[in-house]
Amino acid sequence: MQLEKFTYDNKIVRNFGIATIVWGVIGMLVGLLVAMQLFKPEMNMGNQYTTFGRIRPLHTNAVIFAFVGNAIFMGVYYSLQRLLKARMFSNLLSNIHFWGWQLIIVSAVITLPLGITSSHEYAELEWPIDIAITLIWVVFGINMFGTIIKRRERHLYVAIWFYIATFVTIAVLHIVNSFQLPISFLKSYYVFAGVQDALVQWWYGHNAVAFFLTTPYLGMMYYFLPKMANRPVYSYKLSILHFWSLIFIYIWAGPHHLLYTSLPGWAQSLGVAFSVMLIAPSWGGMINGLLTLRGAWDKVREDVTLKFMVVALTAYGMATFEGPMLSLKQINGIAHFTDWIVAHVHVGALGWNGFLTFGVLYWLIPRIYKTELYSKKLASFHFWIGTLGILFYAIPMYWAGFTQGLMWKEFTAEGLLKYANFLTTTLQIIPMHILRSIGGALYLLGAIVMTYNLAKTMLRGKLVANEAAEAMALEKVVTNEDPADKKWHRVLERKPMKFMVLSMIVILIGGMVEMMPTFTIESNVPTISSVKPYTPLELEGRDLYIREGCVNCHSQTIRPFRSETERYGEYSKAGEFVYDHPFLWGSKRTGPDLHRIGGKYSNAWHYNHMLDPTSMSPGSIMPPYPWLITQKLDTTQTEAKIRAMQTLGVPYRENFDKVAQAKLKEQADVIAADLKQNNIEVKSDREIVALIAYLQRMGTDIKANKTTIPSNQ
Amino acid sequence: MFKQIKDLAGGEFYLIASLLIFMAFFIMVGIYLIKMNKTHIIEMSNLPINEPQPDEYEEV
Repeated sequence: MQLEKFTYDNKIVRNFGIATIVWGVIGMLVGLLVAMQLFKPEMNMGNQYTTFGRIRPLHTNAVIFAFVGNAIFMGVYYSLQRLLKARMFSNLLSNIHFWGWQLIIVSAVITLPLGITSSHEYAELEWPIDIAITLIWVVFGINMFGTIIKRRERHLYVAIWFYIATFVTIAVLHIVNSFQLPISFLKSYYVFAGVQDALVQWWYGHNAVAFFLTTPYLGMMYYFLPKMANRPVYSYKLSILHFWSLIFIYIWAGPHHLLYTSLPGWAQSLGVAFSVMLIAPSWGGMINGLLTLRGAWDKVREDVTLKFMVVALTAYGMATFEGPMLSLKQINGIAHFTDWIVAHVHVGALGWNGFLTFGVLYWLIPRIYKTELYSKKLASFHFWIGTLGILFYAIPMYWAGFTQGLMWKEFTAEGLLKYANFLTTTLQIIPMHILRSIGGALYLLGAIVMTYNLAKTMLRGKLVANEAAEAMALEKVVTNEDPADKKWHRVLERKPMKFMVLSMIVILIGGMVEMMPTFTIESNVPTISSVKPYTPLELEGRDLYIREGCVNCHSQTIRPFRSETERYGEYSKAGEFVYDHPFLWGSKRTGPDLHRIGGKYSNAWHYNHMLDPTSMSPGSIMPPYPWLITQKLDTTQTEAKIRAMQTLGVPYRENFDKVAQAKLKEQADVIAADLKQNNIEVKSDREIVALIAYLQRMGTDIKANKTTIPSNQ
Repeated sequence: MFKQIKDLAGGEFYLIASLLIFMAFFIMVGIYLIKMNKTHIIEMSNLPINEPQPDEYEEV
């Protein structure tokens, strides 16, 4: 048996590490900016590229895919090589992966502020970038499986199972949630509409949390925590049990983002039931992590990396307990659309992802630079200021969430809404938003201190780009020697491809059970005869609504509560959304729901409100949109959009695209004339006219004709 | 509280079927775990900390 000499590639780990730090600081900085915009609208900076609607997606994409994404690759590339006793499969693929991923992030930084967005949350990037993501993900996959194949360690440690599940599930999620019909180089429509689009989006959205923010981090936890504590994981059996149950259950839970919407009731119930079950495997992971430190708690006092890990695991435990609770309909009815959800998400993001990343960075950078951390004191300062930041962030957001959720539902003794003006509830929580941004600033300060500390560490050491190692080559397995080798899991641990296929089957079950009936059984989305396709002008207006990211603050789905039907009008029906490619239900109400806004105010009101929201709603925190009034509506793609909608099954009559321009102008002229009567001079070819047309259309299909609502709705 | 899981207007099939699938799955993994070889488990869980490291990388 020959001892083979080889090297580990530390350079790629370092590169991903630096990218993690740089994008992390940028992403958090943008986060702080959007947080401040919520109490100081001037922070929108008076131009369209930095308004909340456009840069909130920039914040979420930057922290999820740039900060956490690069951290995942850093952790995977470091641990995979060592667990498999092999260098990464290909240096070239590693480099393509690294630079490709950074390029994708840069393209997001450019396109999102320009308003180029598909509007699906956490999947806003347009189709060419989606294709680039797919290609780079495949490069990552080939590099990972190539390394697994040339490994010198027979069995795959549990961390690698998590990496494989991450790879395969993200691939499936990304592809299905990117079914788009391109109209031009940077514009497309989703193939699915309304309820079905919502189901696909939240199946994706929830599982992006599961398989991008959770499984790879659990894999990293299973590798780095035992290394840091210098003792094996508490229970390997528990890790197997919680791995399989986690990936099986998680995929079902998506519909809990759509409770009380027009998604079929049975799908909502499945989402609830599986979300509650999810506590078990999630806590299995947390307990396994924390108990790994049994007998080593004295080290936690000394070692700052372990401190970060303990808070990360605790935050993971809190968030995964809270998640199932939030999916119970009664709690969801109050919490959904409020800051409670923002608090929940950030306990996970700042605590679990952020702190685990910091812990790994502090552990890993000195090791690959063959030196000691520049300053333990600064790291300790980072730990405390970061923890304080999380508290200052989360507690005010919980407070704001409870307050606003309850205010929306409060009635007077006479049976009227106590806070009939939505704005009252927004203004009530402004102080909480100020506190939250202080929390965010503290957290960011910690990250900046870390950047300094790690940069100093790098400067005082020297990168061991190729770290020497040696291991025995693998022999062929003779299964006859030990009967235990024949057992299925043992076999799976040796056969990565079979393992990947099995995990794919496990994750596909839940998605298929929920999606196939919703897509194929007509009764799940009852049609309403009075719901008609959008006019060309309304369609263009809708695309402006998407461009400006209105969906980030305004929902378009009224839940069947008296508090909502009193405030907004008739609750939303599945049949109303059948021509909505994409759906625009939203997930947060910083402003009021807009599904029945059509016909509620005059055209002039909308014009003045978009020009200066405070003129119509004194104290409003909505940014002004003056450019909509000066910019000419781009109608060069109108025909193509109509044809695309026809391809997707929207019943415009034959050759409608040929008259679309004329129809558009006709409707625009009517609106411009109406505005003129109210002393507002605006050309009918301006963007504002299209947006007003869309706003005035919204929800009017059944508002105008209630008798056409099916009796079962 | 259980109304949201009980009253499904004909949709119970999905819920019951999926719960059964999960139970079967859970029991399968459970049985496997009980029958697992102890020495193999110890070997596996020691994988990350057993890796040979050059002296410079020893814990301090």
